[in-house]
Amino acid sequence: MKKRPPEKPEKGKNTLPGYVVKALGEKGLDAGGALFSIKGDMDSEACYKDTRLFFDEKGLYLAFCREKTVKPKHGHVPPDPEITVDKIIAVPAEEADSLSIERYTSTGRLIMSCGEETSPLTYFSPGLAGEFDKFARVFNTYKETGEVKLPDDGAGDENKCKKCGAPCPPGKDFCRKHDKNKGTATRLIKFFGGYVPQIAVILFFMILNSATNVLVPQLSTRALYDDVLANAGDTVLAESLKALGVLVLTVVGIRLLKVLLTMIHDYMSASILPRVMYSLKVKIFEAMQRLSIGFYSSKQTGSLMDRVTRDATNIYWFFTDGIPRLILDGTTLIGVLIVMFMMSPKLSLIALGTTPVLLFTLIAGNKFFRRLHHRVWVTRSRARSLVSDNINGQRIIKAFAKEEDESEHFGELSRDVMSAEIKVGLSEATLFPLLDIVALLITTIVLGVGGVMVAKGENNMTTGTLLSFIVYVNMLKEPFGFLSWISNWWARCSDSAQRVFEIADAIPEITEKEDAVGFENLRGSIEISELEFEYEPAKPVITKMNLHVEAGTMLGIVGKTGAGKTTIANLIARLYDAKEGSIKIDGIDVRDLKLGELRKNIGLVSQDIYLFIGSIADNIRYAKPGASMDEVIAAAKAACAHDFIMKLPDGYETRVGAGGQSLSGGEKQRISIARTIIQNPKILILDEATAAMDTETERNIQRSLSSLSKGRTTIAIAHRLSTLRDSDYLAVISEGTIVEYGTYQELMRLKGEFFRLYKIQSEALKTIGIGGDGEETGEDSQEETHHE
Amino acid sequence: MSDNMQTISPDALRTEYVSPAQCEFFTGSSGFLGARINGTEYRRVILMRALPLTRPDEYICISDVEKNELGIIEKLSDFPPEQREMIESELSKRYFCPVITEIKSVREKFGNFYFDVMIGERKKNFTVKNISKNIRYHGSGFDIIDIDGNRYNIPDYSQISGKSRRNLDPYIY
Repeated sequence: MKKRPPEKPEKGKNTLPGYVVKALGEKGLDAGGALFSIKGDMDSEACYKDTRLFFDEKGLYLAFCREKTVKPKHGHVPPDPEITVDKIIAVPAEEADSLSIERYTSTGRLIMSCGEETSPLTYFSPGLAGEFDKFARVFNTYKETGEVKLPDDGAGDENKCKKCGAPCPPGKDFCRKHDKNKGTATRLIKFFGGYVPQIAVILFFMILNSATNVLVPQLSTRALYDDVLANAGDTVLAESLKALGVLVLTVVGIRLLKVLLTMIHDYMSASILPRVMYSLKVKIFEAMQRLSIGFYSSKQTGSLMDRVTRDATNIYWFFTDGIPRLILDGTTLIGVLIVMFMMSPKLSLIALGTTPVLLFTLIAGNKFFRRLHHRVWVTRSRARSLVSDNINGQRIIKAFAKEEDESEHFGELSRDVMSAEIKVGLSEATLFPLLDIVALLITTIVLGVGGVMVAKGENNMTTGTLLSFIVYVNMLKEPFGFLSWISNWWARCSDSAQRVFEIADAIPEITEKEDAVGFENLRGSIEISELEFEYEPAKPVITKMNLHVEAGTMLGIVGKTGAGKTTIANLIARLYDAKEGSIKIDGIDVRDLKLGELRKNIGLVSQDIYLFIGSIADNIRYAKPGASMDEVIAAAKAACAHDFIMKLPDGYETRVGAGGQSLSGGEKQRISIARTIIQNPKILILDEATAAMDTETERNIQRSLSSLSKGRTTIAIAHRLSTLRDSDYLAVISEGTIVEYGTYQELMRLKGEFFRLYKIQSEALKTIGIGGDGEETGEDSQEETHHE
Repeated sequence: MSDNMQTISPDALRTEYVSPAQCEFFTGSSGFLGARINGTEYRRVILMRALPLTRPDEYICISDVEKNELGIIEKLSDFPPEQREMIESELSKRYFCPVITEIKSVREKFGNFYFDVMIGERKKNFTVKNISKNIRYHGSGFDIIDIDGNRYNIPDYSQISGKSRRNLDPYIY
């Protein structure tokens, strides 16, 4: 079958598809010269509508239309979609200077500017924000330079399957359906690759085990009735007892063999499965370490903890419990059916004829109970969350005297749990007997028909054969029951495996170039030029930022919350990559540097302090595991942490992190600073590193840091201006760009944003009776701030 | 109490609501919604709901393009019909949220939840991830947020069909 070229033109040539040009031509608009176009999904009233947005040399156009994909006949080339153009808005080139987009709660809007005037053009849904942002940027560049320059960021195409447009796992080009690495079962089985002989032995023993299951009724029922009990009257008692004894011993022997076989395959499975799970978990964990920070903060990532723990456990239980049962029940089912047909094809057909009723009841019952159990699970987890919330918030609950309200709330949630549990209990009490009735019905029919056959002597049917046949019929119930829900179990295991492989397959956003270089005599100068960055499309955080930090100097960065200060720190450490522009260290773009070397030379004390589970000493020497205790103590002293650590009963061996000694925010910050000091980086970034400390401790740390920062490039980010008093230069950031830059004195003389911030803080201190004596500018005021 | 400590006056805690007498909305020639508030004309104002899920027609904040708050509408019903229509139209675009009338199916595959729903007469398919976060209960119904950030609303869960409820029930957390 001939393949039709994709409707969307190849990358770099976002012109209109032929059928759209034709339809627009019929409306009197020549769109053949369109330079760039995108497809939208809403009109100017925010109603769903197919739209085509494009521009050419003459102007900007917006066509509202209705497009309908036509299903191709089998083996035919798909025809063009049917299109009806309802309305065209044409804006002459001279009336459209630039475009911008605004993002709202659940829509976005394209805005056009001409001189001072702005006007709205159309709405679009959030999923198209990247596309519209790209369109606006291409249009604006075209208006400035006369060139159609496509940003090479793949915006709009990310996370969409290149084949079908369905959502893709992060960092992948294809959805799971079209991924070459598909085949969860195959991939899971590959983990067992090293254990093929053992698995073959396990399978062999399992099949033997099933055979014993099938054999037992033949002996314990049929042989007992037909060969021993039926002949009891005709033979002497001793012979009968002998025959009975042989039979009993054979059954006991088979039972013992079964126990032995179970022991062997369970023993072998127990030694293989944990090893496979170990490989799987290590693989996920290693993959997680490779991934960029963006993956962790991505809203689509979901709970990563679940992937390492719950998902791996789901897989483990399926292979530990599900697969052995599947093999045992499957082979037992086959064996039982073979024996049944050998005994009596007629009775077997009658029994199987009635099993659909059993199967239907089982499947419907499973579905019904799954829903009920889900409801119980939901209500329980809500109640559990409340208990956890309540324990963590006890201080607040008591402070606001809300104990009774909380108890009442818990009572409500517990009532929901109770109702859901009662419903499950009652349903089980009703439905399980119903299942037994269905099974009984089958047994009764078999017994009735079989009884007649015994009476007539039909097909050599004996009492023993009939009774053992009924045992076999009852043996079908369990495998049927299991097989009716194994598919759900596999679906859950397969989902878990997919999520696990999603991490293993994800490509890190931040990667090291093959020809990445290292530093030679790092000096530590930082050059930021034309830097642009956004976490989400069309929500710029850094815009056109330029900044130079001389090697060995200290730069203080101030700005309001959300101005982009922390983002700069993250970009310098290359936790994220810039969208446009560059960051150079000693003239080398950070993207060209070896990642390990870059991060080893950058010490980042972040505002989010995290202490790992372990001793304080282990946390301090995290960046340098081989550091001696002398170095640890020296670093702790420099970070003003030594004194408080020594007051703890276990000193440097105090366990911190989850479940360990609780420390105040300021104490954690000091340990974090000590951790960075011991790393001895050439570039130090302090992101609100002392925000949780009292002014005196902060000053002591600053003294230590300033002696340590000699010859070191330091970037200090802070709200409190006093924190930045030792800075050689200060930069004021507002809305992602630098609005003021200079020395403290220069900025105070400028009387701009920095001066305003200074005044606000100085006034605030005066209000509470500390420092600040009115109007000061320049050096005197700086001194004043020092002694606040 | 220290001399520097100041008591908070009850006035400081009072919210300033704008009444229809103080505020008049209009659609400017540019196409943006503008307003005259206490005699000052603003060519473009932005409306935002304080309680978008449970009380969408109350506590509507008016701000200018610089995001400076100009006032709060306490109840939309206080405004005359034509003014109300203008406000509702603006809000409906900002808070565009199609109402799901029927859930035809929800299929779970590899952590993605594929919804096949009806929005009035229109069929709509969308994908939701992380359902415990993205299917949110709000008193009587649900808000569903798909992977692109589009929102869909079921205003009253008891009003949709039993089949629709059975389809969604297993995915409600």
